[in-house]
Amino acid sequence: MKIFCIIPAFNEEKNIGPVVSEVKKYVDQVVVVDDGSVDQTVNVSLLNGAVVLKHIVNRGQGAALETGNVYALRSGADIVVHFDADGQFVANEIQDVVRPINSDECDIVFGSRFMNKKSNLPLVKEKIIIPLAHVINKLLIGKTLTDPQNGFRAMNRQALSVIKINQRGMAHCSEIIYKAFKNRLRIKEIPVTVIYNDFGQSFGGGVKIIKDLLISKLID
Amino acid sequence: MFQQIFAFIIILFFLVRLFWQKKKENIDSREFVFWLFFWLGSGLVVVFIKKMDNLVAELGFSSAGIDVLFYLSILLLFSLVFRLRIRQEKIDREITKIIREIAISNKQNER
Repeated sequence: MKIFCIIPAFNEEKNIGPVVSEVKKYVDQVVVVDDGSVDQTVNVSLLNGAVVLKHIVNRGQGAALETGNVYALRSGADIVVHFDADGQFVANEIQDVVRPINSDECDIVFGSRFMNKKSNLPLVKEKIIIPLAHVINKLLIGKTLTDPQNGFRAMNRQALSVIKINQRGMAHCSEIIYKAFKNRLRIKEIPVTVIYNDFGQSFGGGVKIIKDLLISKLID
Repeated sequence: MFQQIFAFIIILFFLVRLFWQKKKENIDSREFVFWLFFWLGSGLVVVFIKKMDNLVAELGFSSAGIDVLFYLSILLLFSLVFRLRIRQEKIDREITKIIREIAISNKQNER
């Protein structure tokens, strides 16, 4: 099984080096999609052994993930893992996320902060933003998971070929969940650890996600 | 009477601009025809503004014809802004596709 790890990165020169080195131990290819960074993200990624795809202008995290997905599909990847560049995920948990796909239990695995493992989640996020995300997902896409805004996930080729990410911003998390259910993929949630370096998604960012989802409802 | 002349001047201004844009090939024929009919229609409404009052009253509206036109124009503006937003989103997606293909074709390998 050929495993590719897609890491979207925007001005992450400080974090990307250790992330790529750690992730490399668990996958066949690390693909950093540089989303128009103006710092040394590209060079640091290359020096640490990643393949780099560079967006010449910033297009957003969702767009960067889809670039990685398209590249992985064309390069013959069997499994694709999505991973963050800021070091908030734990690299050795890639094995846990990939295992159910390797054993053909499911087509797509979503990481969750709300199962067994304990993450140091900020209070506002835990009590306001995540519950709100559940309500919005229920209302706009009709489905939700225990952790609707987690970027740690893995999928096989079948999932990769039916899930095309159109949401170029942060609304891609909801879009992927929606398309996984819509295409009747076999879904599994796995507990993962998230280490918070900063607050992450802001309230304003949450409002933008709702706006993006509404517009896509009208276009698609 | 003064208001009608003023309205005609504005309509004339936009019609001249429309023909100018068409001459410079900044708009396609479909868009040109749409705006031509729009401004000619607006001119007709200005000419028959009194008749508009009667028509609006016959349709059961309590306000004057000009008020109803005002409400309709706001509705039209909203729909145009909405159409523009949708179009912008589609163009945005096309740009992303181009950026994606450039990124993949210029793949950089590990050093």
